[in-house]
Amino acid sequence: MSKTAHVSDSKQAGSANAEPAVAAVPAIIAHNVSRSFGPRKALDSVSFKLPDRAFLSIFGPNGAGKTTLLKILATLLPVTGDGTAQVCGFDVKSEAEELRRRIGLISHNPLLYRDLSAEENLQFFAELYCIPNPKERIDELLEAVELKHRRYDVVRGFSRGMTQRLSIARALLPRPQVLFLDEPYSGLDPHASDILDSLIENIRDQHTFVMVSHDLDKGLDLASHALILSRGKIVLYDRCDHLDQTEFKKVYREVVGLGVS
Amino acid sequence: MDAPNKDMNSSKSTASDALPNLSSWRQYKALLRKDIAQEFRTKEMITSMGLYGMLVLVIYYIALSRTGTDFDITTIAAGLLLLMIVFTSMLGLNRSLIHEHDQGQLEALLLAPIDRPIIFLAKATTNLLFLLVVQLVVVPFFYVMFVSGSMPILMGDVTPGPWWKLAIALLLGSIGIAGIGTLLATISVNTKGRDFILAVLFIPVMFPLLLVLVAALNAVIVGGTGYEAEFWTMCAAALGFNAIVIAAAYGLYEFILGV
Repeated sequence: MSKTAHVSDSKQAGSANAEPAVAAVPAIIAHNVSRSFGPRKALDSVSFKLPDRAFLSIFGPNGAGKTTLLKILATLLPVTGDGTAQVCGFDVKSEAEELRRRIGLISHNPLLYRDLSAEENLQFFAELYCIPNPKERIDELLEAVELKHRRYDVVRGFSRGMTQRLSIARALLPRPQVLFLDEPYSGLDPHASDILDSLIENIRDQHTFVMVSHDLDKGLDLASHALILSRGKIVLYDRCDHLDQTEFKKVYREVVGLGVS
Repeated sequence: MDAPNKDMNSSKSTASDALPNLSSWRQYKALLRKDIAQEFRTKEMITSMGLYGMLVLVIYYIALSRTGTDFDITTIAAGLLLLMIVFTSMLGLNRSLIHEHDQGQLEALLLAPIDRPIIFLAKATTNLLFLLVVQLVVVPFFYVMFVSGSMPILMGDVTPGPWWKLAIALLLGSIGIAGIGTLLATISVNTKGRDFILAVLFIPVMFPLLLVLVAALNAVIVGGTGYEAEFWTMCAAALGFNAIVIAAAYGLYEFILGV
């Protein structure tokens, strides 16, 4: 993994591009966040705070509301009812556009255009975020995800691992303050998984992470905070250094055993 | 899991100062370039629409070649032309949003700090562009076969208006089709029977435009004395309809997308 280049997300002081100075306040505040799909409540009054630069792993069985929570925080789904959520100090509903400039999403779905090349994909998203000197940033990211030699190849010809690496580069393009990861390791081969580990490790202290995962060991290994959701409610939320991992895994197994209604 | 405090917003102002300025024009151009590059590479929309249009012409020719010598085809030519354009367009409009759907790309677009109406404008512009390219190929064939009198099936004794008037009517029709079609394709793209849903929504919404277009096209194709007044009246009506529905689509797009 030593080959993986460092993704420089720290910016030059004073430049127009400089990373915003964020005080030690919660990066995410969810207060009574609920979401219904028809009669079914996918999330039911979820409240929590996550400090800046923390790494939150969200666990839970299928249908527990993990992805729904992630999508609400990423402004991709509106909250039902009068609950509120703030990310980077911005309300997900009323200040969504400002917030979108500060977040990135890595999903198991690559969110890339398969008929465009790696470079064209990144160039397109760089234009959407109006990134100054996009070429420089694209070079840096392609180098970091080890895809510089495939920059002119269309994504359709990429393996799952390569596509996911490019997806990571896409998410990191605007230098987000908060990165949402929705089962990012899903379908990755060990090499791609190692590259993702390495990338996260390199930028670990520059971003706040929220990851949805089914892999308990991987999730706990990366996380500073852990949260278990079941049937749309928080069953457990705590800092990992406060957690008894054996007890945590026991709770998780019980929750998964419960299944969904 | 405490409730949020008011002072939690304190990081906001510092966070917004250092980011690059957003430019809707730059985002619009990026969306256009992306759609054109994709189409240039796959040729999915233009090829399928073009081939479909040519096949419809062949079917028209076969069907009308047995109508006899006393039937004036120019009296129905405007309807035939519009029918071909509407069905050809629906084929392309269905595909235009699928590119944003198969790998969750629409989610990536919605995650970007871009005004939703800009996405609508860019999609509608590329759809219009592709429709015009297809019409540039197909309509001359139609003109030669059913309007110019060069084919043996044309029995009418007419003096059609100039081709540029036909082009004006078709351009107005294409603007409406692209605008409304983009909105309706966005609504139908997440549904199971999206082809069917688009057709069911498209025809009733387009009905007033189809009426005025067929009248405008008929005025040009049949020609004769006094056709000009009807042609320009119908073009004005089409322009008004386009302005209203495209403004509504522009305003509604954020609501349609849901975020």
